[in-house]
Amino acid sequence: MNAVLDIAPAVRGPDVDVRQDVVHHPVSTTLVEVLACGGPDRGDDAAAVIAVARLADALPEDVRTRLVGQLDIDDLLAVAPGAGAIVVDTAVGIDPGWIVEIPFSGLVGRESGIRPRSSHALSIPETIGVASIIRGRPLQGMVVAIGGVDFGLGEALSWPVATAMDAFVLAIADAVSRVRGLVLSAKPNL
Amino acid sequence: MHDAVIAPGGEDLTVDVRNLTRVEGEGSLHLRVRGGAVESAQLEIFEAPRYFERLVVGRSMDEVIDIVARICGICPVAYQMTAVHAAESAFDIEVDPATVALRRLLYCGEWIESHALHIYLLHLPDLLGYPSALDLAQHERPTVEGGLRLKRAGNAIVARIGGRAIHPVSVRVGGFSRVIRRDEITSLRADLAEAMDLAEATVDLVGSLEPPAFRRDGRLVALRAPDTYPMNHGRIVSNDGLDLAVSDWESMFEERQVAWSHALQAHGRDGRPYLLGPSSRVTLDADQLHPRASAALTRIGLADAIAHEPNWSIAARAVELVHAVAQAIDIVDAYEPPAKGSVPWLPRAGTAAWATEAPRGLLFQRFGLDADGRVMEARIVPPTSQNQAAIEADLALFAPTILDRPHEEITHLLEQLIRSYDPCISCATHFLDLKVEDLP
Repeated sequence: MNAVLDIAPAVRGPDVDVRQDVVHHPVSTTLVEVLACGGPDRGDDAAAVIAVARLADALPEDVRTRLVGQLDIDDLLAVAPGAGAIVVDTAVGIDPGWIVEIPFSGLVGRESGIRPRSSHALSIPETIGVASIIRGRPLQGMVVAIGGVDFGLGEALSWPVATAMDAFVLAIADAVSRVRGLVLSAKPNL
Repeated sequence: MHDAVIAPGGEDLTVDVRNLTRVEGEGSLHLRVRGGAVESAQLEIFEAPRYFERLVVGRSMDEVIDIVARICGICPVAYQMTAVHAAESAFDIEVDPATVALRRLLYCGEWIESHALHIYLLHLPDLLGYPSALDLAQHERPTVEGGLRLKRAGNAIVARIGGRAIHPVSVRVGGFSRVIRRDEITSLRADLAEAMDLAEATVDLVGSLEPPAFRRDGRLVALRAPDTYPMNHGRIVSNDGLDLAVSDWESMFEERQVAWSHALQAHGRDGRPYLLGPSSRVTLDADQLHPRASAALTRIGLADAIAHEPNWSIAARAVELVHAVAQAIDIVDAYEPPAKGSVPWLPRAGTAAWATEAPRGLLFQRFGLDADGRVMEARIVPPTSQNQAAIEADLALFAPTILDRPHEEITHLLEQLIRSYDPCISCATHFLDLKVEDLP
């Protein structure tokens, strides 16, 4: 997998936060951040939160998980310099219970595609693309999404999603392993 | 993705814009032209109904505050503020002045994040000639970075007071769930000082833009308060003399079902559409703007354009950014915590009705309550439901002026006009798509 966004930033620079008022952390032990989107109380919107919670204890110490609700550019700007990211979400436009794994590089040209049900004003590809440009370097990572069908407040997971949760957890674990491998290979001294 | 076809040389057309981008939610536009005249312009909202008015039945007003916040990830504070004020009005609760200030600060946070998002990531690409936020960021990175810092300042306010940046959890009938300390509030000050410079620079940036010309005289509606720029309270006023209490919204306005939309459309009871939001507020409440926002409006000289040209709504939003940041700074500087997080109260039967100014305009809610203060029936009227008819009317006026252009340009200009209203379709139920077709 070549998880590099094919977007030439206007200015290429070091992979650090570009704001002048921020204390930089040049050495980070976090290799991968898993960003769980959605919320626990709206049916299939809870799938990412549940799957990441099930996986958390089994992850290496250098993998960090965060609940982000709606994916925001700031969530991706907060990913440690040099680390990779996995965005986990429920999406529409995929059959319920089906799972897709797309490297960030594969999102180029799909700016209007893959809309999470909770309707971010920018699509996930746009959010990841803008964040990569602001970071000054393409962000390595993947989107792992499961197709959802029921999003009502107070509803449980739908049957197609509930029965696909084991596969969803495995897909996230596999994505973590792949992105972590890429990050490690880019940091030969670690 | 657009699927636009224009009859070559013909005057009978149908224009469909499917899946409008850079708006909140999912919808499309269907424009029908016969003999060169627009026969209909329909904003088709196909977001599934979300039944929130049924979900709150049987709940206490404290529960309602948290449930209605889930209607929208962009403007949850507006839903909470409207519900809490409705409850406190019905239960005759007088809250601590510090609570009043904190709620206003919370609302300022939401206005800042919502307006910064719309200006920099949704509307500015159109006006600077970029096809997407991605292209804008690629070519104008410092501009987008500034917008994101502004948005961050708004997020920080909501997170600090509300407990989290999205769907805050601290608002309670009678106050807040805890006393918010002075140091928690003053720690926002440095970011707000930077945000003030960024907001004023935003006004200068948008003042230099040249949006497409489209002028019309529409009915503008907003809250108006005697002492302040409207957010949490005021009376409903219009540019044609309307003046009524917020609880009386239903006496002058009504919602209707239309065949092409899952969202109800609101009109005046006389059938006329009306426009809410930043342009209406800046026009009807200019004298209540913070002095720094008022100076910014004077500096760009766009008050008349804001009142009559929808594409200049970005200027109204920028002026309100200055207002919200300046007001937030004033509140932070003067804040003294209340003795208690909330005041005690007792429920009672009655009607709880209120309206506040969400970033996109007036949001009305009414709840019928039983003796235990539980909801028996509810009505929630978001701003986009109210703006939908005005947007359709403006599209019908604007379209004939551009129908001689290439179809991609028609599509882009119509989408751009729709984006200028910052519709939140997920609130109204959730997006746009343009098609032009021959009519027999």
